[in-house]
Parts: sequence; structure tokens; C-alpha cells
Amino acid sequence: MDLSLRAVTHRYGDLEVLRGIDLTIRAGEVVCVIGPSGCGKSTLLRLLGGLERPSEGRVLQVGEPPPGSLNPLTYVFQDFALLPWRTAAGNVALALEDRPCSRAERREIVAEVLARTKLSEFADVLPRQLSGGMRQRVAIARALAVRPACLLLDEPLSALDSQTRELLLDDLLELWLRERFTACYVTHNLSEAVRLGHRIVVLSRRPGRIREIVEIDMPLEARKDGLAELQEQQRRLWELLREEAAAADRELADA
Amino acid sequence: MPEGAGPEPGEPGASAAGDGRPVAEVPFRGGGFAPAPRRGVGPLLFAGLILLWEAGARLGWIGPLVLPAPSEVAGAFVRLVESGQLWLHLAASLQRLLLGWTAGTLLGLLFGLAAGLFSLGRAGIVPLVAAIFPIPKIALLPLFIVWFGIGEESKVATILFGTFFPTVIAVYGGVDNVDRGLIRMGQSFGLPWLSIVRKIVLPGALPAILSGFRISAAIAIILLVAAEMIGAEYGVGAYILLAGNLMATDQLVAGVAILSAMGLTVSWLLGRAERHFLKWRL
Ligand SMILES: Nc1ncnc2c1ncn2[C@@H]1O[C@H](COP(=O)(O)OP(=O)(O)OP(=O)(O)O)[C@@H](O)[C@H]1O
Ligand SMILES: [Mg+2]
Repeated sequence: MDLSLRAVTHRYGDLEVLRGIDLTIRAGEVVCVIGPSGCGKSTLLRLLGGLERPSEGRVLQVGEPPPGSLNPLTYVFQDFALLPWRTAAGNVALALEDRPCSRAERREIVAEVLARTKLSEFADVLPRQLSGGMRQRVAIARALAVRPACLLLDEPLSALDSQTRELLLDDLLELWLRERFTACYVTHNLSEAVRLGHRIVVLSRRPGRIREIVEIDMPLEARKDGLAELQEQQRRLWELLREEAAAADRELADA
Repeated sequence: MPEGAGPEPGEPGASAAGDGRPVAEVPFRGGGFAPAPRRGVGPLLFAGLILLWEAGARLGWIGPLVLPAPSEVAGAFVRLVESGQLWLHLAASLQRLLLGWTAGTLLGLLFGLAAGLFSLGRAGIVPLVAAIFPIPKIALLPLFIVWFGIGEESKVATILFGTFFPTVIAVYGGVDNVDRGLIRMGQSFGLPWLSIVRKIVLPGALPAILSGFRISAAIAIILLVAAEMIGAEYGVGAYILLAGNLMATDQLVAGVAILSAMGLTVSWLLGRAERHFLKWRL
């Protein structure tokens, strides 16, 4: 299943946030979205997942979601969005409770995704007892439990310290190699973008337009931290972003 | 800098460094602003105050007409127990409290949720609550009597009205404060509306709802006396009013002490409930 934005413009009241966005996320690819803060990246993601209706243009699902997908468009949030009163297993189960699956099936799925995210021993632990990295793992497990056709990740690693971020990034890579999921990955972090993205969409400052789409041919499994080629890509992206970011920074300060 | 206050010279932390510069402990400035539970302080304070009061009465500082001594109050209480009337009074009052508070709370939950979840509900309910909440329900007693008669209904209605409004305010405030991100999350996983309310909104609002219960329970007890002004034969409030009319101050204070004990019990019960339901917050 592809996900497609056609001439999407979005406004909050008088504030134009996105302008004329045309973008297709093809099945099996990871599209990273970068751009200066406040340029509408999160808004773009909310549009993609149907949490927001575009002011103009259309958001389309092209093709059928794979059979067995319970929640085709599934988010992973920056702040994890875990229910603090539910255990790790309970949080994962939340996504399944209103689905037509039996209690036993549900328990099986929960156990399986917790195992896949290396969380089995933390099943009965409340979020406040978990570290940030563990919490985001729970959120990822919850997302996997509903067998998404497309994962929508809004800066999933931004709330974590850099070591945890590195570990979780490796986990995400490994996960993609195993499952080949489709994803739209919003990030501030250029090194995450070049490690994970098949294509990287660079947005301009608000109102966000697509400035450039950078394709990285290197297969994900070959990408290692600190590879010269990736660093070159990263430098080029930073060049693209630099002025926009500086201008956006001044804009916000004036507002 | 006072000399000789530090440890032996030569040890780390001595009052002068090797090169003669002064060395001092960094003054501690943290601490405070974090009250910790102190067991026994409450009961001790109570006991101390009662002792002081008793002593004051015995020594003649407090005239018997001004305030009866605690021992006299205790005497009145014992007579009340022995006559078997205590249980009649308590049963009547507790029944009214329970009925009025439960009904007021349930209705308050319903309207509070409506105000917290629906634009129209909010637009209608919030100004209404603002207009009616501050009216002393005692002022409406004659109306309640006209509407509900002089029996139990008007007494329960007084308590119901008194507890309804603070509950509405607590519930919709609590719903407002539920993390919007969690609600978005529920929607993004395709949870049905009712599940979002049941599994995300209500538990998220529970801390505020429970503190609302503390207030509404106190108001219910306050209104009990008012409600029992309406021709009640039995009830703690009726007992207090009768004692007041007869200037039997020892009985009056004994009745007031029973109300206090009710308040303490409710507060203790709610504390247990909070500890049970809000374990995840600690
Ligand atoms: N619900 C909303 N109502 C009004 N304005 C909004 C709303 N959500 C976002 N905005 C505004 O739209 C603009 C874009 O917001 P958005 O969150 O999409 O940016 P972003 O690129 O994700 O920023 P960041 O990098 O800080 O995450 C911002 O100026 C923000 O203030
Ligand atoms: Mg954002």
C-alpha cells in the first residue's frame, strides 16, 4: 500500500503551515522528513495518518493494506504516549482490545511483540519504572502489535539521550531489515535521516514546501555509523537546511 | 571565617588548603518544600488541644456556658450511646448522606463528562454551574420542601444539590487536563469513542475526580445539618439542632464531634481509594 499526498496545503486559522505538498511513500520504503522547527513536519505526519484534515488537496491510500493489518496507519510518538496507569503489556494490549480477536490471541500477540522488542521481562512493569529508551520500545511494540501497513514516526528518538538513541536506531534498522515495513520518519537529526531513509524529504521553513528530495541508494544493511559516504550526504543536507533553519529561527524570535 | 570549626588540620576539609587559601564547606541550600508524612503528629495534636481545653475548663478559664469541658461532652456522648439513640441518629444521617452524595456524584460525573467532552455540553453546563453553585443551598430549603415534601426526599435533595456542582467542576476540570497526546494516540489506534472515554479520559481524570470527592463529601456533611432542619426526628444534625435549642452545649459539642469523626472517616476512606487507584502516579 502506498500513501500519497496530492497538492496538500494546510492552514491553522490564518497560519499557513504547509503549501503544495506532493509526496508518495511507496510500500516498503522509509521516507525521512527533515526541516527547520515549526515548518509543519508533525502536521504533515498527522495529515498522513488521518488525525488532521488538509485545508486543500488530498491524502490518498493507494492499493489495499496487506490482509491481517489491524491498523494500517500507526503512529510512534515523540513523547511515547503510553498510558501511565497500564503496564507495558497493558499498553500494548490497548491497541488490540477493541479488535475482533480473542483473549488468547491477544495475549499471544502481546507476548510476541514484546519479545520482538526485547521487552518480555518488563511486561508487568509500569511506564514510570522504565527508562526512556524502554518506554519508546513499548510504544514500538504497541505499533507492531496492530501489524501496520505504514509506520508514522514523529521524532521517535528525540526525547532520548544520545547513547540510547544509537541503540534504538540500530534496533529500528534491524527491525526494518526483518519486516521491510513502510515508514514516514520525521526527525531533526540528520544522521538518523541518512542512516534510515531511502529518500529524505527536505522541507523549507514555514509554510513548509518540499525543497528537495534526496535519494540515498546505499541499502540500509550497508549503512554504518560514520561511513564517509553518509557523512557527505549529511553535510549536503545540512547545507540545504542551514539557511532555512537560520531564517526560521529569526522568524520565531520575532513572532 | 571562624577558626577551629573544621576537622583536624591535614585531613581533607581542613580550614585551610595547603597553599593557605581558606577552605569551607559549601553551604547547603536545598531541602524543604517537600512535606513528608509524619505519623502520630495528628493524634498528638488532637490530644494536646483536648487536654488544654479540659485544663482550661477545670481551672475556670473557660466558663461552662462558653464551652463545656471535654469530660462533660464525653458524658453527653456516653448517655447518647447508652440510650441507644446514637445508632438511630447515625443510621438516619448516614442513609441521607449516602443517598444524597451518591446521587449527586453520579449526576455530577455525567454532567461533568458532558461538559468536558462536548462543545454544546460545555456551553450549556459551565455558565449554569457558575450561576447556581454559589447559592447557599440552605436558602433554597423552603423551595425544596415545596418541591419534595417534608419527608426524606427534600433532605436527600439538599445534599444532592450540594454535592452535584463541585463534582461537575472537578470532573470537567479533570477531563480538560487529560493529556491530549494520549487521546490522539487512542484515535490513531482506531479505538472507538467509548473506549477512549473509558480507558483514557476517565482514568486520566481520576486524580482530579477523587480530589473533587473530598470536597463534595465535606459539603455533604456540612449540608446534613441544614437538611435535618426540615422536621427530622432522627439524625446527627437533628440532634445538634435540638441540643442548640435547649442550650445543651455538651450535647451540641458531642454532636459536632460526631460530624468531625464522619469527616475523618471519609477522608481516610478516600485516602485508601487514592492509594489504590492512583498507584501508577507515585
Ligand atoms: N493544532 C494547532 N493549532 C494551531 N497551530 C498549530 C497547531 N499545530 C501546529 N501549529 C502551528 O503550526 C506550525 C507547524 O507545526 P508543526 O508541529 O507541524 O511543526 P514541526 O515542523 O513539527 O515543528 P517541530 O520541529 O518543532 O516539531 C507551528 O508554527 C505551530 O505553532
Ligand atoms: Mg513536530
